[in-house]
Amino acid sequence: MRRITDSITTLSGASDPGRVTRRLYSLYQKASIAGDFAALSVVIGAIDDSIIGLANPGDLYLLKAHAAFKLHKLADVQSALRAVPSVYDTDEGRLIRADLDFQHGHYAAAESAYLDVLQRDRSWSALARLAHLRGKMGDAAGANLLYEEAEDQLTAKEMRAYAWLELQCGFLDFTHGQHGEARLHYRRADAAYPGYWLVDEHTAELLGAEGKYEEAARILERIASTVDRPDLDQAIGELYELAGQSGPALHWKERALNAYLQSAQRGEVHYYHHLVDYYTDVAEDGGEAVKWANRDLQLRENFATQAALAWSLYRVGRFSEAVCWIDRALASGVVDALLDFRAGEIYAAAGNAIEGRSLRERALSRNPAVAGFHVHH
Amino acid sequence: MADHNDPNAVNSIFSDIDVSAADLYDIFGFPADDRTGVEKVVIALTFAAVPQTGVFDTDMLYRILIAPDGRIARSGSDDTSLAGLLAYLEGVKDKYLKILKPSEVRVTVDHNNRADLRFIGFPGGSFSASIATNQTVSVRSPGGHQISAFVGGRDDAFFNDLTGFFRSINYAPQFYHVPHTMPDVRELKIPKTFLELEGNDLLNYDPQLPRWGHGIKKELPAGSLTWSGDRFRKDQNGNFRFVYSGEDARAGQNCNAIILELPLTFLTATTDEHRVVNACGESWVLKAAHKVETIPDDPLWIEHPHVLLDALTLDDELKKYKLVDTDGQAFADAALSEREDNRQLGANNFWLAPHFIKRLGHLGWGFGPSITALGLASAFDHDNSPVSVHRTYSSVLEAFPRVRKILFQELNMPDASWNRKGLPIPLRRAVDIFIPNVNSIDMDTTGTWPFGRRLEDQVATRFLSTFLDMSASFNGRRYHVDLLNDPALWNAAPIEPKTAPNPLKNDKEFLQNFPYLAEPW
Repeated sequence: MRRITDSITTLSGASDPGRVTRRLYSLYQKASIAGDFAALSVVIGAIDDSIIGLANPGDLYLLKAHAAFKLHKLADVQSALRAVPSVYDTDEGRLIRADLDFQHGHYAAAESAYLDVLQRDRSWSALARLAHLRGKMGDAAGANLLYEEAEDQLTAKEMRAYAWLELQCGFLDFTHGQHGEARLHYRRADAAYPGYWLVDEHTAELLGAEGKYEEAARILERIASTVDRPDLDQAIGELYELAGQSGPALHWKERALNAYLQSAQRGEVHYYHHLVDYYTDVAEDGGEAVKWANRDLQLRENFATQAALAWSLYRVGRFSEAVCWIDRALASGVVDALLDFRAGEIYAAAGNAIEGRSLRERALSRNPAVAGFHVHH
Repeated sequence: MADHNDPNAVNSIFSDIDVSAADLYDIFGFPADDRTGVEKVVIALTFAAVPQTGVFDTDMLYRILIAPDGRIARSGSDDTSLAGLLAYLEGVKDKYLKILKPSEVRVTVDHNNRADLRFIGFPGGSFSASIATNQTVSVRSPGGHQISAFVGGRDDAFFNDLTGFFRSINYAPQFYHVPHTMPDVRELKIPKTFLELEGNDLLNYDPQLPRWGHGIKKELPAGSLTWSGDRFRKDQNGNFRFVYSGEDARAGQNCNAIILELPLTFLTATTDEHRVVNACGESWVLKAAHKVETIPDDPLWIEHPHVLLDALTLDDELKKYKLVDTDGQAFADAALSEREDNRQLGANNFWLAPHFIKRLGHLGWGFGPSITALGLASAFDHDNSPVSVHRTYSSVLEAFPRVRKILFQELNMPDASWNRKGLPIPLRRAVDIFIPNVNSIDMDTTGTWPFGRRLEDQVATRFLSTFLDMSASFNGRRYHVDLLNDPALWNAAPIEPKTAPNPLKNDKEFLQNFPYLAEPW
């Protein structure tokens, strides 16, 4: 991070295209590594300002596409990629288009594009994308092999990326209830890139899942003191709630909700799914949850947004509609214990106790700890 | 449901990986001039001075691979057909089986900036030594061989007009800010040439911006990046404009280097038979998983095919590293392999032979007509084209007849001094030089290029001479590898500026004694 900050300082005031692009890329990196969505929005504005002055702004459009993706501005991603044909057709352009396919629930198209790019270049980032998809589709072993191949591409000059891949391996284990294996990966990630807040966040999640609520909350509080992340505030609130400390829990939950709503008022969309989670799981306000779930669904219809809407409808007692939406999510091909668990709840509430029990059992077989604490990533 | 944890979060769009310590510059090699005592060979591998001159990147591992062998015997009836070339390549592959198992010197530098040298697989013994950097050290093998070693910062021994070379091949990134998202805009689709093309505003010298291409770049213009003219540019006096300036692009710059002076008896048990020392260099960077010692090797890695391949061919130490760069023959990468990472095969480049022939054909259509326009004879068959042509080949069969002479003609030397013993040593040919990609040091010569590579060799200009017709004469003398270094030729030529393409000597005097490369700046 110091190198990135130094680069930003060195390149400030730059006017030639290469240095301008480099500076904006450094700003983007700083914001995205820190998980600072507000800073990412500022970077997009700066990119827009600079694009005007460049004869060949392809790199900046690609950068804008990445930044917009992080903020869930999927239409902006598409338009940025289309602005320059050469960007659209580069492997980087292909990969982010495949990411868009994933977000829109077009999993086969996403996989096909990843494989196509990998035929030309088995880059670690393309391997990681395919691993993520395979993991979501239930092929954990295949995903692990791809993550391992991706790690093998990385050198000692890319330790943050290595740590990130270790986190993915660990998270894959975590979602299968394999907490010991997850912890090993998280430790490797920490050893590879000490002080990385993302490692701490995952470690805290693991501790929370193991019932060490206060310890987990303290770690997240430390992260939250350095960056505005209402999703972490919510997690802290939930952890204090579980620890029986209702005062701090209320404080953190309110803080999270205020930040989510302020973000939405600014026209930002990246906290929509957190609002859904908040209203379904924290406030248990089905009406508000359905509102935000529909908004998110309009941006991107995938298994996650379908399941979120289904869960919101369940909260508001519209069980038959909930069943319709959870069926869509289940039909996506995604294999996810939490998805099964919620589907079981919905089916049971809708009067289909047998299917409900079957789904719950499947969920528990996939992740015995599925009902435990988890962070809304 | 999680979606802020997707792979988009990897945050790596443009390459931001600083591996420049892996950027190999050159490998020099020649028999030591001091002929008292045992016969010795000097090998110097130079690379980027990163993080600093004389300070080394501790994540790097450098290898100098050494394979002594017999000299290539050639009959006068060598087959110069495509079938003959293919037969030659088959032979090279067989020969390469020996080179596949070379001895090697492996070098890493620790956090105290001490170099760890491992001499592996030499007939004179395998051993290791920890030495101080930036000073000459003498180490002794188990068999009693004295080896001089220097690992440290030096003046970069390469001297050439890099800007001129890049202008000759229309290499846009030297002159323009080329976006990452325009990967096709590297070598512009404009004829390669030694002489400026009339109306080639994309690359011709700009008197309003004389330092353009010397660290100064313009913004890449929108629109067509091609040239549609039909002649070389001439000034009011009828002179062509040279794309070269003769300026040393590396003047005042340093490198880090591994320099060795090794007794031939340490390298081979049959010094009478093994008169050629093949050498090449490699840079490797530590893999991420091995950066942290507490991270154990996951046995699952072995299950992956890519890793399995490594497991079959690499030893335990090398499995922890990733090959980044290779260096054997000057210009084998820069000119003939287009510096593409996926063509970093090192000595094992005979797989690239078809590409090599097509690339040579492409370069020939550019350089050949510009040589002819200067009144010189070209070895490339360009059908007497009056101007350079941008032509690429997809077929080896089509390209081969054009480049046959370049491949198979013997490269004349300027005088007999290279052959210091007057032995019947055949002159080298391009095909011998570039495939495989090794520096073949003939111990019975001075080691001047292409019989090795001496520090003072103007190898960039000698590379250009491979496009000359070596059966032609200039001022009553046969063409030779240093013809284009001859100021008289340029003084007489209708060209401006009247300079040899590249500087005639290094910016600092080389040393008479080990480590030979000059002190750093």
